[in-house]
Amino acid sequence: MYFLTGWPRRLLCPLRSAEEPFYIQPSSQRFYFALLSETQLSIWFSRPSVLIVSYIASVKAAAQFGFYQKAEWKPDDSMIAVVTAKGYILLFDVLGGRDEKSLYEPVYPKGSPRVKVTTGYKEEQCAPALSLEMKKPVDLEVPITSLQSLQEDLLVCTADGYLHVLHWDGLGSNGHKAICLTTIPFSLDLQSARGGPSLDLEGVYIRCMEYCVTLDGFAVVLSDGRLGFITPLSSSITADQLQGVWAADVFDGTCVAVNNKYRLMAFGCSSGSVLVYMIDTTTGSMQLSHKLELTPKHYPDIYNKTGSVKLICWSPDYSVVMVTWECGGLSLWSVFGAHLICTLGEDFAYHSDGTKKDPLKISSMSWGAEGYHLWVLPYKQERRKQEEEQQDVEMISPPHPSLQAGILQFHFIKSALTVNPCTTNQEQVLLHGEDRLYLTCGDPTQIHSTSDTHSHLHPRDGSPLHRPPNPDSSLSQGLSTLLGHKHWQVVQIHSTYLESNWPIRFAAIDSVGQCIAVAGRRGFAHYSLFTRKWKLFGNVTQEQNMTVTGGLAWWNNFVVVACYNFTDQQEQLRIYQRSSNLDNAFASVTKLHSDTLLLNVFRDMVILFRSDCSICLYSLEKRNDGPNPSVSVELLQEVSMSRYIPHPALVVSVTLTSVRTETGITLKAPQQACTAESIMLNLAGQLIMLQRDRSGPQVREKETPVVNKKLLPFCPPVVLAQCVENVWTTCRSNKKKRHLLEALWLSCGEAGMKVWLPLFPRDHRKPHSFLSRRIMLPFHINIYPLAVLFEDALVLGATNETVLYDGLQGSTEPLEALFPYCTVERTSQIYLHHILRQLLVRNLGEQALMLAQSCASLPYFPHVLELMVHVVLEEEATSREPIPDPLLPTVAKFITEFPLFLQTIVHCARKTEYALWNYLFAAVGNPKDLFEECLMAQDLDTAASYLIILQNMEVPAVSRQHATLLFNTALEQGKWDLCRHMIRFLKAIGSGEMESPPSTPSTQEPSSTGGFEFFRNRSISLSQSADAITTGKFNLQKTFSMPTGASAKGRDAECAENMYIDMMLWRHARHLLEQVRLRDLGCFSAQLGFELIGWLCRERNRVARVDDFVSALKKLHKDFLWPFPVIPVGSLNSPLKNGRCRTVLSAQLLKSQSADSLLNSDMDSAPPSTTPTNHTWMDGIGQRDKDMDTASSAHSDPHSPQTRDAFLSLLTNKVEEYSIGSATDLTETSSVVDGDWTMVEENSSALCLSQAELEHISMELANKGPHKSQVQLRYLLHVFMEAGCLEWCVVIGLILRDSNVIKQVISFLDNPEVPPETVQSVRNGLLAVDSWVSTDCLGYKPFLSLIQPQLQQLIEVTSEQVQPEAFQPASQTSKLSAAEGPGGAPTPRAEDNRGVVAPLGLALPSLEPTGGFPRLPSEDSPPEQTEEQGEEEGTYDCTLS
Amino acid sequence: MIEVVASMARGPVFLAGELMECLITFTNPMSHLSTSASSEMLAWASAQIHCQFHASENRVALPAQGNKQDVQADSDTVLIPSRGERGQCVLDTPPKILFCDLRLDPGESKTYSYSEMVPVDGPPSFRGQAVKYVYKLTIGCQRVNSPIKLLRVPFRVLVLQGMPEPPFPQDEEVSPSNPFLEEEEASRRDARALERALDMLMVTTSRRCPHMFNITNMRGKVAKFCIFKTVYRLGEDVVGTFNFSEGDIPCLQYSVSLQSEEEIQEQYQRRPGQAISVTGHGRHLESCLHTASSHFSLPVPLNVTPGFSTDIVSLRWRLHFEFVTARDPTEAPTVLQNQSEDTIWAGAEHVDVDTFSWNLPIKVLPTNPALASYVSQFTGTNSIRI
Repeated sequence: MYFLTGWPRRLLCPLRSAEEPFYIQPSSQRFYFALLSETQLSIWFSRPSVLIVSYIASVKAAAQFGFYQKAEWKPDDSMIAVVTAKGYILLFDVLGGRDEKSLYEPVYPKGSPRVKVTTGYKEEQCAPALSLEMKKPVDLEVPITSLQSLQEDLLVCTADGYLHVLHWDGLGSNGHKAICLTTIPFSLDLQSARGGPSLDLEGVYIRCMEYCVTLDGFAVVLSDGRLGFITPLSSSITADQLQGVWAADVFDGTCVAVNNKYRLMAFGCSSGSVLVYMIDTTTGSMQLSHKLELTPKHYPDIYNKTGSVKLICWSPDYSVVMVTWECGGLSLWSVFGAHLICTLGEDFAYHSDGTKKDPLKISSMSWGAEGYHLWVLPYKQERRKQEEEQQDVEMISPPHPSLQAGILQFHFIKSALTVNPCTTNQEQVLLHGEDRLYLTCGDPTQIHSTSDTHSHLHPRDGSPLHRPPNPDSSLSQGLSTLLGHKHWQVVQIHSTYLESNWPIRFAAIDSVGQCIAVAGRRGFAHYSLFTRKWKLFGNVTQEQNMTVTGGLAWWNNFVVVACYNFTDQQEQLRIYQRSSNLDNAFASVTKLHSDTLLLNVFRDMVILFRSDCSICLYSLEKRNDGPNPSVSVELLQEVSMSRYIPHPALVVSVTLTSVRTETGITLKAPQQACTAESIMLNLAGQLIMLQRDRSGPQVREKETPVVNKKLLPFCPPVVLAQCVENVWTTCRSNKKKRHLLEALWLSCGEAGMKVWLPLFPRDHRKPHSFLSRRIMLPFHINIYPLAVLFEDALVLGATNETVLYDGLQGSTEPLEALFPYCTVERTSQIYLHHILRQLLVRNLGEQALMLAQSCASLPYFPHVLELMVHVVLEEEATSREPIPDPLLPTVAKFITEFPLFLQTIVHCARKTEYALWNYLFAAVGNPKDLFEECLMAQDLDTAASYLIILQNMEVPAVSRQHATLLFNTALEQGKWDLCRHMIRFLKAIGSGEMESPPSTPSTQEPSSTGGFEFFRNRSISLSQSADAITTGKFNLQKTFSMPTGASAKGRDAECAENMYIDMMLWRHARHLLEQVRLRDLGCFSAQLGFELIGWLCRERNRVARVDDFVSALKKLHKDFLWPFPVIPVGSLNSPLKNGRCRTVLSAQLLKSQSADSLLNSDMDSAPPSTTPTNHTWMDGIGQRDKDMDTASSAHSDPHSPQTRDAFLSLLTNKVEEYSIGSATDLTETSSVVDGDWTMVEENSSALCLSQAELEHISMELANKGPHKSQVQLRYLLHVFMEAGCLEWCVVIGLILRDSNVIKQVISFLDNPEVPPETVQSVRNGLLAVDSWVSTDCLGYKPFLSLIQPQLQQLIEVTSEQVQPEAFQPASQTSKLSAAEGPGGAPTPRAEDNRGVVAPLGLALPSLEPTGGFPRLPSEDSPPEQTEEQGEEEGTYDCTLS
Repeated sequence: MIEVVASMARGPVFLAGELMECLITFTNPMSHLSTSASSEMLAWASAQIHCQFHASENRVALPAQGNKQDVQADSDTVLIPSRGERGQCVLDTPPKILFCDLRLDPGESKTYSYSEMVPVDGPPSFRGQAVKYVYKLTIGCQRVNSPIKLLRVPFRVLVLQGMPEPPFPQDEEVSPSNPFLEEEEASRRDARALERALDMLMVTTSRRCPHMFNITNMRGKVAKFCIFKTVYRLGEDVVGTFNFSEGDIPCLQYSVSLQSEEEIQEQYQRRPGQAISVTGHGRHLESCLHTASSHFSLPVPLNVTPGFSTDIVSLRWRLHFEFVTARDPTEAPTVLQNQSEDTIWAGAEHVDVDTFSWNLPIKVLPTNPALASYVSQFTGTNSIRI
């Protein structure tokens, strides 16, 4: 496919002249261009693009012959025929093309150190010197309308209705035939009886004519606008042997261009559209294939104002056509009508300030060699005006003419598929320009899978379905930034090769996209991306002695080339090894008997299509016998196709595939599915398949000299499809994705794509007899497909993008201001939803399900489902007439088969208009039920989405009730973001209730919109930076830090609402504390800004008590991943025992760790818990989170830290293996926070460990919990101290093994304000711990003995105090709470942390490290010091050398 | 036998200051079914990042320095990450212990995550003609009573020089945060650093500020050259336009090369006045005799090193232009209309020419490391068996 690139180049004729060229005609190889102005004939060279010679007619000659009009080259470039206005044909001999004289050869100053710009074997680029010599003119006496050069003849149409056939040699004398148009019988098809000469052709002449070799006839436009095709019935053109057919009902033709490769005739019409006709082979009639028209959708202001079609130009390889109109502009279409570029819209037509540009009007244009350039002659007036302006500015122009004529050269890059459609080029996107190659960089799957989800999804504009990128995953962030980047990896073709062999004709990339080979006029060269080096022939003679004819392809590490050898004068198949030098010595050469036109590789086979219309199969085998590996080539089979192929040039591509239709005989072995089963041949857009014939007796082909391979003959061809531009098959196989891999993909121009999908019986049952084995499904995509990624269900393509550079420079308008800068960008598209939908429409739900299930793991699969619902919904709900058999219920039912059902529906609903919701939910079910299903499935984010639906469709009471339900669940699961949003949501509902009348579901009242807005904002904020979230949190704090003073009654409602929410928060806090979930409590309070101390003060003697110290202690150990203390080595001397103990511990840690911090993105949100039920939901969360992450839903927790998310998608299949080995790893995973736990001295990089030291380290580590837990426990301890919850202080003191804490608490127990139950409880608790320690956890023993004195004291004290306590407990409590009064009032959280040391007089040094300085001079408290020492010891060991 | 596989999930290219993460998997590959299978033990494993510097002898004169690394190099229990590498280690991060005492039962496999900030103050990965800077992640592991085995994972570091230090502490981070909130904030901070770097990169490189140059030689004006910006990211195209129609001197050819200049700082040069090594990274060559205006577009390869400067070497980027111009400023001949004879104008066979060159310095900056990863020669994965 062709793409415009860069700016056009402007050439300037070195001659000043009053005349402007208006006609350009390329020579047969497109190396020379003949340009005509009224009295001048000039010849330009292609590269370098310079003027070679110019012939200027004298006044006398101009008066005699008239002005020049048209020109034609003789096929061998030796002559030019110029038609003049007075009916003359002037013949010019082109002299000097063959001798070595050249022009503009630079002469470098002698003696000076010469700086040679071009390095290489050839000297500078020079143009050949040519000369023109006029021969005797031929006078036809009437104006000439059309001129066409045939091989030997020149065909001239005149305005008197005659057709002249003239011989190039001896023009005008011998062999001059004149045929009158009226003598040619015309009819609608060739079958109808040959009528006599048409009478209505009187006075009509041929306005435009072009000969089509492969159709063997002339496409003509008559002067009355009719279109016709004239074909000679015999081999020579004689008057009575011509027969014409009409195109029905067209009377406004203006011009014609034929496509020889695809046998198409493109007729331009004055309506502005181009009609492309083909010839029906059976009847011989002209059939309209397709139209090229600008659509009102894409070109609203110009589509019907273009004027008539002025010129049509097929590219040299016939794969695209360029069209221009009277009003100007260029538009490019693929052969079957896919629209690629049009310069009448967007940046081409408008300046950056919005003003309209004058479109470029074109008087003549021509493609350059290989289609890399389009030479355009801009329309006179247009350019003259412009240049005059320019000259005026420069003030140097002579008053009158003498301008230098300009030519524009547009640059194109094209897909390698257009000329060299080999299989590996189909798997990768490879584009080549004149001097460079464009490759997709990196793993296409990864890039495109994500890029796709962000583009081309929505039929309308793409915006509603855009999934917000997951903002927090560093990986996806990396990828999402990659999306904005649509760059290519650009490889410049080696200049040495390029300069001597320009233009590049073929390019091929290998299957992994690492090696590229290009072939120009002679020889070839290859490049490896890995080494970034080109390999050229070491011996230039070898290079210049071969030319690639049939293309080139990669086979493993070898380049397979079909070439012509000039020394031996024969066609050869050569195979060069990549790794060795590029030299014929390392090539294996096979002689071929006929010219090769196409070459392809399938597995270990080479398939050649030859000019004698036969197909040859060769086997390749790598041999390692010599010093260099070589390849042995063996002819396997020859299939003659001459019966089916009218002309060898018509074959576009030939491929071996494993695709086959079932013909009754099933293949026995499954591996045969991958053998070369059939030949696919694209014959002028008609895809024909030749299958191996398995029906007959398995006879070996006679001429195949194969020893042990049975090669079956091929069946007669079957036509699979029409209008095919490209075909994709793969020889890979994948049991799980058979549908996709065994399918055949076709691109069909404007008709979009088609897939020939295999249908499989489910569970290997016998297929239904009515079920065909394959089905052809068409589908539309918005991009031009260049590669099909089979496994990924993606199509890759490229599009032209433009950048405006105007307005940068002052008054002189350079080229870059007139044209935008064109770039080519990669695109991709998913198509699965089209296919699934079509299968459902055809009642093939089972197949659809199998197909979908095989793709369910693709990252964009949720979007496929969503798109499917969306498209069907929009179509059916907005349909004016009732739909008899709606598809939406079927689609809904289909999606219920997938776990993403609930999510898909709600996402789709929220992206469609409210008006369609009723229709949607009538089909998929009541949103209330769906909401509850989400809750059941623990999918809270999706449930939250349903809440919006409910809020709009139900009365406020219902949505409030559901919201409360969701809020409670979210609290329970620690979904803090959701909690925050729910709080705001509930408030919004509350205020809405007060302000507006009760809503009806059908109308959207302002209050609910408020909530809706809010959620909209939220989903937007997901893609924003994390700051938005933090501010949200802070806002929340503000709302908590009310009480709002006197206010209006709206405030009351708010207060009531706040009260309601507070109640729920308190209840949850109580619940957590009751269940001894301190860690959760900490997170809860931190995340929701819940004022913990005040609440604890109130609850001090209620729920904030500890009933069972031992189980509380155990629970803390578990929740905070805090290891149970181990007795020092001295007391437990068996290392084995020690080891085992640790193993148990680490096993336990493994579980929590992996579940916690790896699966669940937020460690705090799902703490491990003891109860088995909790365990299951925890697992559930992990599981679901994982799903959600791959789905990357719009509601995924925006708070989850980035790095973790990235892990999720990567490790999904490794979860079981992913384990953390020992206690050390705890810090390792959290090394983000305190990564420097093993920080050593800056300069010492050495590390040495002995066995004993190792044990010591591990012992130390085993006795200490993670640093983070320690900080958290200290924080909690502080909070409990503050709130006076002494029992909890004791428990935490125990786990931290901080004797100071215990001592302080016990000394504080003496305080008369402490209620006696507390004292009692502490005493009993410690005793219980003591007894538990003695039996079950000896590791605590040393610590308990450390606090033994206090313990003893406590036991004594309590026994004394029992009496007085009983008397006035109430007053004491009240006193205490009074003393703690300020704590009861809400205070901002930030202040919780500091300045609170005073009331209980406890210094808590460990609070400081929370600020993020893990390494702290350990001076304050002894226990802290031991902890620190533990750390330091670890460090010390590391640095020991 | 234990198989150690290290793999950088994000790809092998990092921006300095970015957090590098590597998953290191230890596997006992024996099937637990096989009878000879036994548990395998590893004493410890640790990982660290280091940067190796290597200088070409005949271009760089380094001051003699003490071979401090050889101290105890014979001892098997010393982990020197750069042991066996060429050159010297100019930078290393503190080693992190992955584990001590790992026991793997047959078939068992354990994965550790190593993460470390890629040092901000180091040089970028660079492979020049005189100097090389190579980054590696080295994982050392040791069985008891065996020599240390090293697993090296080379990776590429891009340095965005002149990036402002993060405005730390930021407002919300001033207050000692609740330890229950810590985790997310830390990771957010890291992400922000990268985001900020990339934002800055985008802002600097997407600003368009056209520069116009009149290309002139001693004989007159040759062309007008316009370049739209002078700061480019890796992977971008350098685009410039020429307008020859305004020139007086015909230009036959021009070429534009994208070049990097590697210059050894004066005090380290082997010879005084030593030439700068110039490397070409792409070239556009065009014949422009009868051309009025044209443009070139040169891709900045993704694998090159952006400009940088250390105390030893500095790398700069430039566009190198060469022009072949005619000596005679030929005025275009005018074709006179009313001539009595047919005339033929033919181009000159030989043109006396001058050549001259010109350099335009440009800046090349890094790009998103994820993008550069796709064309990296490194895989980001490596493995050994011990």
